[in-house]
Amino acid sequence: MTLTKPILLAEDNPRDAELALAAMEEHHLADKVILCHDGAEVLDYLYCRGHFKARLQGNPAVVLLDLKMPKVDGLEVLRTIKSDASLKPIPVVMLTSSREERDLVESYALGANAYVVKPVEFHQFLKAVKELGVFWGLINEPPPEGTSSATSR
Amino acid sequence: MLGRVSFLTPGYHMGTDEPKSQQAVNTDVDSVLPAPHWSARILSRVSVLRTFALAFQKRSIEQRVLAGFGLVFAGILVISAISYRNMTVLIRNGHHDQRSHEFIQVLAATGDAIDDAETGHRRFLVTGDESYLSAYHILQQRATEYLGYLRELTGPDSIQRARVTQLEQLINQQLREEQAAIDLRKETGFESVRAMALAGVAKTTLDSARRLQAQMEQDETKALAQRVIESTTTTRSSIILLIIGALLLFVLLAAVYYLIRHDITARRRIADELQRRGELLEAANKELEAFSYSVSHDLRAPLRHIDGYASLLAKAASTSLDDKAKRYLQTISESATRMGQLIDDLLVFSRMGRQEMLRGTVNLNQLIASVLHDLRHDLQDRRISWTIAQLPDVTGDAAMLRQVFMNLVANAIKFTGTRPQATIEIGSRDNGQEEAVLFVRDNGVGFDMRYANKLFGVFQRLHRADEFEGTGIGLANVRRIIHRHGGKTWAEGVLGEGATFYVSLPLARTST
Repeated sequence: MTLTKPILLAEDNPRDAELALAAMEEHHLADKVILCHDGAEVLDYLYCRGHFKARLQGNPAVVLLDLKMPKVDGLEVLRTIKSDASLKPIPVVMLTSSREERDLVESYALGANAYVVKPVEFHQFLKAVKELGVFWGLINEPPPEGTSSATSR
Repeated sequence: MLGRVSFLTPGYHMGTDEPKSQQAVNTDVDSVLPAPHWSARILSRVSVLRTFALAFQKRSIEQRVLAGFGLVFAGILVISAISYRNMTVLIRNGHHDQRSHEFIQVLAATGDAIDDAETGHRRFLVTGDESYLSAYHILQQRATEYLGYLRELTGPDSIQRARVTQLEQLINQQLREEQAAIDLRKETGFESVRAMALAGVAKTTLDSARRLQAQMEQDETKALAQRVIESTTTTRSSIILLIIGALLLFVLLAAVYYLIRHDITARRRIADELQRRGELLEAANKELEAFSYSVSHDLRAPLRHIDGYASLLAKAASTSLDDKAKRYLQTISESATRMGQLIDDLLVFSRMGRQEMLRGTVNLNQLIASVLHDLRHDLQDRRISWTIAQLPDVTGDAAMLRQVFMNLVANAIKFTGTRPQATIEIGSRDNGQEEAVLFVRDNGVGFDMRYANKLFGVFQRLHRADEFEGTGIGLANVRRIIHRHGGKTWAEGVLGEGATFYVSLPLARTST
């Protein structure tokens, strides 16, 4: 089983990003990860604009989305993805420090596919990120590209 | 009337809070309305009124206002009744006056008619000219009419009526005597009646009639004068009474107004204060929510990094690090993890206070069974003798109550860890009221009753961290949840022998 589509990781904190990448590295997924530092960059990637103008067409296998981010926050990105017919099929996983009920409620209401609280303990964090990468990147069957790419162009 | 007035005074007294005014009012009333036996009774009532006044002060505002309006109403009734009575007297006197005037007039007319008849009669006797008898005939014809009218104008049993009858008899006698003289003159001529004509025919009768007539007029005039005096007195006392009544009512109304206004002002102030505090509380709550949100988001990230980088370091430098250095890194990781645990516990505790409660009937037997199922991993390699009684249904939030019993049972398991044979008892006690008392008893390490009040505090622990693990939030959560259910928590324990934790909860309606 090889991963063909990239994993889009939205994480403004470089340390969290490094730790996440370290976790992915343990399972040889790191090179498939595309790191965005804020919500605006995520949208640039998805709409192939700005810094990502020249990238290959196609949606990522999954978007791992932090809630608190500069410029455009996670919930805003989620709302944009889920209200755009071409982006809607992309699985979105909230990966956040918050266990607050209102964040959970709002995320699911906007159509998040999963909600994962980052564990403080590194080993559990490793496990969580690994399992996320494996499940969404390898096990889960993504929506066929045709349905979304046709409209995204 | 006076009795009523004195009854009105406590309201007035109350409203102004001037104890002296009560007696002052009474004295005024005494001097105005002459009724000595009443004033004596009032003086004897002053002490009674004072106790009444004290009792009145203890009444609620509604009762006071009601009493005030009641007194005003009673005052209006009394004043109306007395005014009505006085008006009736005045109207009756007016009628009487009119009748008296008429009586005097008719009496005078009767007198004139008698005189005219007598004069005409004498002339006839002298001259024999019958035209002089017209006055006599008029009297003859109209005497009954005059007398009937006079009788009508007198009271049925009065002296005046008796006198009218007397007057009638005298007139009739006069007429009869004169008729006899007329007949004699016609038959025998002047000579036979000469003496009569000169001396007057019915002289004695006529004199009696005149005297009676004068007496009647005098008496009627006197009665008229008396009634005028009576009417004047009644009018004056009515005016004085109305003025006093109006003043009293005004004072009472002012007192009631003062009471109501005072109360409204107080209520408005309290309402404003409540609203202000509500707003403050809401702001504080929002701030607290923002605070815990930010704790939840931002405080955990650095801890994750500490543990993460410590772990990465341990891995990257595993070959070059000695055991001591590895232990240091291990401690860094453990501390970060523990702090994460503390933050999580604190957030749960904070959420427990704000979270909305979903009340329903909770089957505690099922709840305990599911708690024990969840704790089964902690029960491995342990010898515990369980005694679980049949528990009643209670009213509450099932998830929250689950947390309560999870904490209590987990504590019992934890603190009996040093016992080769642990004994844990879960039971209930009916305390006779609408609530159930539930307890979890163990034969664990127990605690010193001197520190019993510290048990339920946040992060309060009675054991060293290396003896028993835990952050010390469990019992604080238990207390917060039970308090939100309207119940109580307490504990009994003996150091080294065991502990019993009690919670009281409202019983489910159907089970009672």
